[in-house]
Amino acid sequence: MLIELKDIRREYTVGGEVVRALDGVSIGIAKGEWVAIIGQSGSGKSTLMNVIGCLDTPTSGSYRLNGKDVARMDDDELAGIRNREIGFIFQNFQLLPRETSLANVELPLVYRGVSARERRARAIDALKKVRLENRMTHKPTELSGGQRQRVAIARALAGEPSLLLADEPTGNLDSATGEEIVRLFEELHQAGHTLVLVTHEPRLAARCPRAIRLSDGQVVGDGPGAEVAWQGVARP
Amino acid sequence: MIGVLVDNLRLAFGTFLAHPLRTLLTLLGIVIGVATVMTMMALLEGLRMKVNKDFGQLGANVFRIDKWPQGFRFGGGGIDWNKISRRKRLTVEDKVAISEQCPSVLRTSASSWQPGEVLRTAMSETGRDVFVIGATVEYPETSGITIASGRAFNEGEEVDGRRVAVLGPDVADKLFPSLDPVGQTVRIRGRPYTVVGVMERRGKVMGLFNMDNQVLVPMSTFLGQFGLRRGVSISVEALDQSGVAAAMDEATRLMRQRRDVGPTADNDFEVSTNETMAKSLNELSNVVTAATFGVCILSLLVGGIGILNIMLVSVTERTREIGIRKALGAKKHRILLQFATEAVVLSLVGGVLGIAIGFGLAALGRWTFGLYTAVPVWAVAVSLLMSSGVGLVFGIYPAARAAKLDPIEAMRAE
Repeated sequence: MLIELKDIRREYTVGGEVVRALDGVSIGIAKGEWVAIIGQSGSGKSTLMNVIGCLDTPTSGSYRLNGKDVARMDDDELAGIRNREIGFIFQNFQLLPRETSLANVELPLVYRGVSARERRARAIDALKKVRLENRMTHKPTELSGGQRQRVAIARALAGEPSLLLADEPTGNLDSATGEEIVRLFEELHQAGHTLVLVTHEPRLAARCPRAIRLSDGQVVGDGPGAEVAWQGVARP
Repeated sequence: MIGVLVDNLRLAFGTFLAHPLRTLLTLLGIVIGVATVMTMMALLEGLRMKVNKDFGQLGANVFRIDKWPQGFRFGGGGIDWNKISRRKRLTVEDKVAISEQCPSVLRTSASSWQPGEVLRTAMSETGRDVFVIGATVEYPETSGITIASGRAFNEGEEVDGRRVAVLGPDVADKLFPSLDPVGQTVRIRGRPYTVVGVMERRGKVMGLFNMDNQVLVPMSTFLGQFGLRRGVSISVEALDQSGVAAAMDEATRLMRQRRDVGPTADNDFEVSTNETMAKSLNELSNVVTAATFGVCILSLLVGGIGILNIMLVSVTERTREIGIRKALGAKKHRILLQFATEAVVLSLVGGVLGIAIGFGLAALGRWTFGLYTAVPVWAVAVSLLMSSGVGLVFGIYPAARAAKLDPIEAMRAE
């Protein structure tokens, strides 16, 4: 198993009241899987994405990522794990506005201590994979939304992480561009990448071989995407 | 390691270029502080070099014997001025005795002066600022004065108390702009003097005391006009440089004897060389240097607060960027280093600008006011060191704040 979550709880205190964002979540995801995590807003899926992405640590429970126990790591150790194991794809791209596509894609490699020449070569490779080799010196403001998300995907790929973690990757895109991105995910899945995709969109989750539904911080469904995606939701 | 440094430097300059005007304005404190210190140091160093050169010119192998201590001091300098004022005056007879009885002495001269005099001709007059010097015939040699035209007065004129005068070039230019002064008549307090010569231009000692705005008259004439009981200063020139110490020794012993100083009592006169005078001036400039640095530290403090401010703004504005960097694997120390480097680079830019402006002001002073200025290398080094230090000290807190940001929270920022 690449991801092993056991009885994960995450509690916040908001205004003196304890909020249970995750209430005993146990999930296993194998290498090469393409999994959607679906749920309404407030279901805990963002918290789960943060825990899986090592941006947040659970209040209790155990989390093994690629064989490493990451639940009790400190901030800097987690930063190291994020850098090597996880490629993030965020809803609003999270690109550095003043840097070129190339510099943005190089960023994870900068923090891994890869030499300037090698990271340039790997960034170019990654941009080729998302077919943006002719936009390498453009800044994010000079790119369309779909191109920006492809830069973000290239950045996620450049570090050759064991997991690609996408948060509402089509949320800020029109449907045609969104489709383009989903196709890219299909290619990446076929190429053997492990993909975890967090979304509230049943249509997107239905495209994934496997989907996990969250509600009130608990797993309420886990199965083929096409089934779980529409669970409890009226089909259009 | 070098790669990290290069990355951080690139980022730091990137920030600077993103908001050049805002950054420059924030840097003003440091720029002004460094420019001030550089200009002051340039002036002082110029002064110091000029003083050493001027005193070197005053006559080689020469020392002076005076009633009053020479040079510049602060406050009383631990000197009992009442006691000194009760000392006996020095006389021309002392000068003659030193000349005759000290084997290591080449020549001596005596001089006495009256500042703030006016010289008049039928056509014009000088300001009330001419230095009238009564001197014996050896004075031009012991004081490094050369005659540009005409001649100095001679022994006969000295003995007879003739009213002859050698003009400084400024006095000559003022009174005789289009005429050869030699042979003309000038009046000092109504008494006519015949001009026999004009001195070579010498400039100002340390840019303050004008050596060219003076007039030389025979000692006996001077004493006749300004008072017979005036004391004199004695300049003593040794046979050669190695004989200066011996000459000083002999002259001191002779003076003690002539003035009945007991064997255990201190000298009741002062012996000073041009070097000791130059030294006391250098001490003065050291005090000014220290004071300037005090001012500089204050303005660097102000500049540092500017850096603190701009860095806090920068961290706030770039919260999202910091979040992204941390999410992608930047550890705390990398973020800390990035922002600390930026703060140091910013203040260094301020320091370099300040140094450039300091050089500019020093050059301006040189060309427009004829001031002697020289920027000492150590001042440049100290300025760079201090401005980068300020950047580090005031940049650490904002950098630490940036390093501590939570990536999830930070990425949500706008």
